[in-house]
Amino acid sequence: MTATSAFESSPEMERFLCERLLNTEQPIAERFRALFSLRNLRGDAPRRALLQGLDFGVSVRYILVSTKERAARDPSNLLAHEAAFALGQMQDAEAIPALVAVLKDLSLHPIVRHEAAEALGAIGLEKSIPVLEESLTTDPAVEVQETCELALGRIEENKKVNGAESTTTSPFLSVDPALPSKHGLSVDQLRGLLLNEQESMYQRYAALFALRNDGGDAAVSAIVAALSVKSALLRHEVAYVLGQLQNKAASDALSTVLKDVCEHPMVRHEAAEALGSIADQESIALLEEFAKDPEPIVSQSCEVALSMLEYERSGKSFEFLFLQTPHVQS
Amino acid sequence: MSDSEEHHFESKADAGASKTYPQQAGTVRKNGFIVIKNRPCKVVEVSTSKTGKHGHAKCHFVAIDIFNGKKLEDIVPSSHNCDIPHVNRTEYQLIDISEDGFVSLLTSDGNTKDDLRLPTDETLVAQIKEGFESGKDLVVTVQSAMGEEQICALKDVGPK
Repeated sequence: MTATSAFESSPEMERFLCERLLNTEQPIAERFRALFSLRNLRGDAPRRALLQGLDFGVSVRYILVSTKERAARDPSNLLAHEAAFALGQMQDAEAIPALVAVLKDLSLHPIVRHEAAEALGAIGLEKSIPVLEESLTTDPAVEVQETCELALGRIEENKKVNGAESTTTSPFLSVDPALPSKHGLSVDQLRGLLLNEQESMYQRYAALFALRNDGGDAAVSAIVAALSVKSALLRHEVAYVLGQLQNKAASDALSTVLKDVCEHPMVRHEAAEALGSIADQESIALLEEFAKDPEPIVSQSCEVALSMLEYERSGKSFEFLFLQTPHVQS
Repeated sequence: MSDSEEHHFESKADAGASKTYPQQAGTVRKNGFIVIKNRPCKVVEVSTSKTGKHGHAKCHFVAIDIFNGKKLEDIVPSSHNCDIPHVNRTEYQLIDISEDGFVSLLTSDGNTKDDLRLPTDETLVAQIKEGFESGKDLVVTVQSAMGEEQICALKDVGPK
């Protein structure tokens, strides 16, 4: 699968982004801006910075665990999780060893292990199959097991599609955990697949992405309905997809998810960021309220979401722009 | 003397004609045209960024005002429409240059067009004056967009 076109940037800009990403004194939203800017680059320096973001989260976690301190706010899980996500989206095979190490490390938060497994699926190389198969059977967290199942399915399906054109490229430029269901299925059929608790996780994900690519009102309704499925992993992906679609019809349902303190943090996290992406004015008060949530993954996600919302509403880019000064030629 | 229907573009006076049309930002390419801050511009650079986590593509345009040469930038969501100026080019034979910087042009239907100033591009102005003073037959290209027009090119069709 061909990666989407990457930007060039100056070494100075790369250093700026790397420093901002790794500077723990920066607001979490600013570090996120740097992270997603690095995600659009290629090469050694961006990868190293993201690997450091991943490791930095990991090492902070170790310190906290070893001293048995209770941190009121632990920035590491969210940032490490997003760094792993970005490495998968970049489809950088050089990141595989680090992602494998993260997936195997049971002392890490499941949300980080989940994202490492998803990234291995996004990178899509067969050499990741053994570790994914191992974690599929041994990881204690259901959401990590399910992610491994998806990643294995994606790698397998990628082999079949390998000869064909990448007509399955996401219109949102994301590398999705599953390829969309084949053309020809109606919205009702896709809805049935998505909500069917007996169906395999891969097929349900495939239906989800086909509905997303449809994008019509009936498709959005079907996707919103999936916020009530049994699997937290699927619920979290549903929230993510609603963020991609930016359809305000989803705001109420996502708000309900964010408010539900019994919901899995990874789902609440995605709901918060989806609300930031949809950028409804009414979401601001809610996000500000839950920026004080006792669960750090949720509170920090709300901070990031408020930043995304502000950029979205002003029509600016959430990332830093780092184009070279253009040579003017008329 | 009335203008031919072929030449509806006059300085500052164009009214009612559609000046722009919508086009999806993601399909505007380098060397195409775009309206930025209500100015007709030519795109000199366009990059697409996958914004934030949800991958909403945004197009970053760097463009040059086609009349005054100033650089303008804009960021537009890739899936949104932006305004594209109608840009027309018409060729006229140069008849005269007045002392106050206006030119007389011969239209294709035999009338004269006398409402255009020399362009802002100093190099082009020098070429026009030099060619005119040496008695050459000159054809100028006039570019018009969004109610403005300006000479943008010169063709030397040889000595009389």
